[in-house]
Amino acid sequence: MKRRSFLAALGAANLAAAMPRVAFAADNQLSVLLPPWGTLPKAMSDRFTKETGIALQIQTMGWDDIRTKVVTSMVANTAPADGVEFDWSWVGQFGAAGWFESLDDLVPAETVADIPTAKIFQYDGNLLAIPYNNDFRILIYNKAHLEQAGVAAAPKTPDEMLEAARAVKKAGIAKFPIGIPLSATEGTSTAWYLMTMAFGGDLFDADFNPLFTDPNSGGYKALAFILTALQEGLIDPAATGLKDTQVQELFQTGEITFDVAGWAGNLAVYSDPEKSKIADQVAAGLMPSTEGKSRTFGLPEAVGIPSIAANKEAAATFINWIAKPENEIEIYSSLGDLPPRLSVLEQLNSEGKLFAGDVLIEQSKTTEPLFKQGTPGWYPQFSSAVCSTINAAAKGQYGVEEAIAEIASQAKKAMDR
Amino acid sequence: MASQSGLRTRKPYRRDETILAFAFIVPIIVIMGGLVFGPLVNTVVDSFYRIDPMQPGEPFIGLKNYTRLIADGDVQTSWANSAFYVVLAVVAETLIGLGMALLLNRVRLGRKWLLAIAVLPWCLPPVVNAIVWMWIYHPNYGLLNQVLMSLGVINEAVVWSNDRIGGLVMVTLVHVWRMAPLTAIILLAALQSVPGELYEAAKLDGAGPLRSFQQVTLPLISGGLAIALSQSTVFAFNLFDEAWIMGGASLGTRSVIIQTYLSAFQDLRFSYGMALSLLAMIASLLVSLIYVAKVSRDTRMG
Amino acid sequence: MSWKAVSNPILSIAKAFAVLLLVIWSLGPIYWAFATSVTPSNEIISKSLRLWPAHATLEHYAKLLGAASTAHGNEVQSVWPQFRAAMINSIVTSGLATIVTVAIAAFGAYAFVRLRFPGRNILFALVVATMAIPAYTVMIPLYRLMISLNLIDTYLGITLIYVSAFLPLALWLMRTVYEAMPLSLEEAAWLDGAGRLYTLVAIVLPLAAPGLIAAAILTFLNAWGQFIVPLVFSPTLASKSLTVLIPEFATRSNIDYGLMNAAGILAIIPPVALVIFLNRYLVSGLMAGAQK
Repeated sequence: MKRRSFLAALGAANLAAAMPRVAFAADNQLSVLLPPWGTLPKAMSDRFTKETGIALQIQTMGWDDIRTKVVTSMVANTAPADGVEFDWSWVGQFGAAGWFESLDDLVPAETVADIPTAKIFQYDGNLLAIPYNNDFRILIYNKAHLEQAGVAAAPKTPDEMLEAARAVKKAGIAKFPIGIPLSATEGTSTAWYLMTMAFGGDLFDADFNPLFTDPNSGGYKALAFILTALQEGLIDPAATGLKDTQVQELFQTGEITFDVAGWAGNLAVYSDPEKSKIADQVAAGLMPSTEGKSRTFGLPEAVGIPSIAANKEAAATFINWIAKPENEIEIYSSLGDLPPRLSVLEQLNSEGKLFAGDVLIEQSKTTEPLFKQGTPGWYPQFSSAVCSTINAAAKGQYGVEEAIAEIASQAKKAMDR
Repeated sequence: MASQSGLRTRKPYRRDETILAFAFIVPIIVIMGGLVFGPLVNTVVDSFYRIDPMQPGEPFIGLKNYTRLIADGDVQTSWANSAFYVVLAVVAETLIGLGMALLLNRVRLGRKWLLAIAVLPWCLPPVVNAIVWMWIYHPNYGLLNQVLMSLGVINEAVVWSNDRIGGLVMVTLVHVWRMAPLTAIILLAALQSVPGELYEAAKLDGAGPLRSFQQVTLPLISGGLAIALSQSTVFAFNLFDEAWIMGGASLGTRSVIIQTYLSAFQDLRFSYGMALSLLAMIASLLVSLIYVAKVSRDTRMG
Repeated sequence: MSWKAVSNPILSIAKAFAVLLLVIWSLGPIYWAFATSVTPSNEIISKSLRLWPAHATLEHYAKLLGAASTAHGNEVQSVWPQFRAAMINSIVTSGLATIVTVAIAAFGAYAFVRLRFPGRNILFALVVATMAIPAYTVMIPLYRLMISLNLIDTYLGITLIYVSAFLPLALWLMRTVYEAMPLSLEEAAWLDGAGRLYTLVAIVLPLAAPGLIAAAILTFLNAWGQFIVPLVFSPTLASKSLTVLIPEFATRSNIDYGLMNAAGILAIIPPVALVIFLNRYLVSGLMAGAQK
């Protein structure tokens, strides 16, 4: 009996497959796949449906898992959803694979012009996604720690940062003043890239030759900086097990002085007394630099449309809708995603709604892409080799020179296809 | 065993028997054929092509994926890690699981509850298990260091995972803790088939507990043991969730399946990753085959 | 029963010690997770060993199950409806997979042991060998297949995948159970004129109950812990499982150990309840075996 009903079910399923596929994605049906911080509150999604007449189905997935889902379905030649999360680090891969639709004709040029980070999502001259979360790095520190340690001003150079950290440690205010993730996760790599820029360096030249192998290069000095700070006890040895989010948690509880892993958007959380113990102590400054000119890079997250999506038009409507200034503001206040539009940032700041708004806006104007040529397809492989190598170096398995040589050889391997 | 030898003599197949057997195994053939063997053949074929979404075309490249895998340093490291996981996990799970099964078989009072307690770790989904243990291993606030510190074993927080072997052992322990009950259940099911009279007979022969275990228990549960050993091996080769959540992409804890995931889904070298997963499958099959061959040889001799 | 009753005291002390060890080994980490789940957030980060919070709280459970939940520090709609839906999905898919797997294995394994048919041993070896296949190996072809069968995000689709994944183990286990059974009982029934099917259902299966229960427990727990299958094959709450939902609670800017542990504790309640429920049969089966 059981077996028979089972077989019947299987037969029915076969029959369903044999019949011509009914286009179940009607015009007013839209599915989007986003991480938790891209999942609109119900009030907003209801308003979207009311304003556009499109029923919205949001699939929420952990960020790590979205890639698995996107790759699986695209390789199997189906769209994971009509609108899909698109991280800056995927641009080279998904661009080369041709998995995403060009948005050039679907999004008004004025919108794109107002979003400086949109250019990060260009591949081969085509705009593949529109940012909804403006992420860039900025110096986040605990000003009360610095005051107590007798440090007058926020560090302007990496060396000043080391000095300040030593003073804080000596005064016994924080046991491990510099918060930086050293686990084998992406946050570890991005912290090194950021420090590389602080030391005036770049990762690669125009032909993708590594620029970090020379002992005088920014990348080499940045790694030396991290390992020195670790040896001096300015960084927690347990950082080898910490992700960026965990370092942020430590900053929020006042255990560390500098949050080298912090996203600009985190300032809203850090300065909120309901969520943070150091709301009145947090401060932001421009990223330190040896060159006198502060630099940072953007790591925005965007929404794109798979080229085989069932309902591209509705997805474009969604992308344009969340890019509206009033909706970016609502997303910022409900989800904490920093608005990608410069005009919205400025508006929020003039209304006094943006914590450390002046610094944020000044730094956002210095935001460059990590790769001027556009994120290459081998970036994810390179970046995971970087964090794995830095993790091993932090555990004492490599010195600076060996680690740098390993990263260079892994870069070569990643580029070799 | 006598019953089997009767069946082993070659007789012509009986038609009604074959029809009944066929009715019983049709669902197996349909499900396994459709959902496992079909996709498997597909992947095997794919592994001889270059399937890389970032490159145009899908040319036939023969064994190139496999030859490149052999030369790939990261892949070699992941094999070494997986070998460590498999050896340690299989030994630990078998010893702990056997201990549990023997104990559960002897305990009378509250056996139902003790069994439930023993099985409990296995109820944790792997992802949740890894999160729970990450919290236990937390250098500053975790149970492990706090207990060791209050016992005076260590004076200050030790980051155990900063050691190469330490990191591997920590991941293995999490896996063993969750999977040992599987071995325990399988062996317990086997133990209950050992008739009590056999122990009495051994006892009358003057055999001590160790000898009666060797001579009576072990041969009779060897079938279950082979299943348990194969299961432990296969699960240890397929270790992913725990190592991924605890170690991320770290080469120090990267298993073969994590390397598969990284190659196929992170690097988009799709057929390269699939070829590696096939090698992982072959490796766990070969290792499992050793136990099964050993058991069937032993039973034939017995 | 008789000879074990007069066991020597050293042996019973050793046994008691072993029981204690087992309880600490199994329950220790789960107890710690539970204690963490009822510890207020500000107490969680404490450097001294504290086995029970000074002020136990249900705040983390309230966040999961209450009328209003917090995410990213904001009050949002309760996650309880999601949690409940995922819990039901997990129970349904794992439960269906268990029933189907055990049913197929009960009959199939019998065929492999007692019935003679061509290709019997090769087929069995092939099926059991599939246990070694990593999930990633077959994932993408399987995804294509499920799309073409319209089975993505359905109970039937997930159940079928679980059955195909866990059937080999159940089959192997049941085969050893049947092999250990004396043929004499069945032969007696045949002499009385009973058919093979009747003999199997009326005589063999009840005797194989402990094995069937063990197979059911193995299948259910294996299915319950699955992550990658529901992740890929269950895009929405129509069939998404608890194991996929729980990591989503880990929001980006908050690693909330209290909340994670609370969710973990909730996730093990159904399998624990099932194991305790099925244990009754497992143990009674074992007792029957011991009294023989």
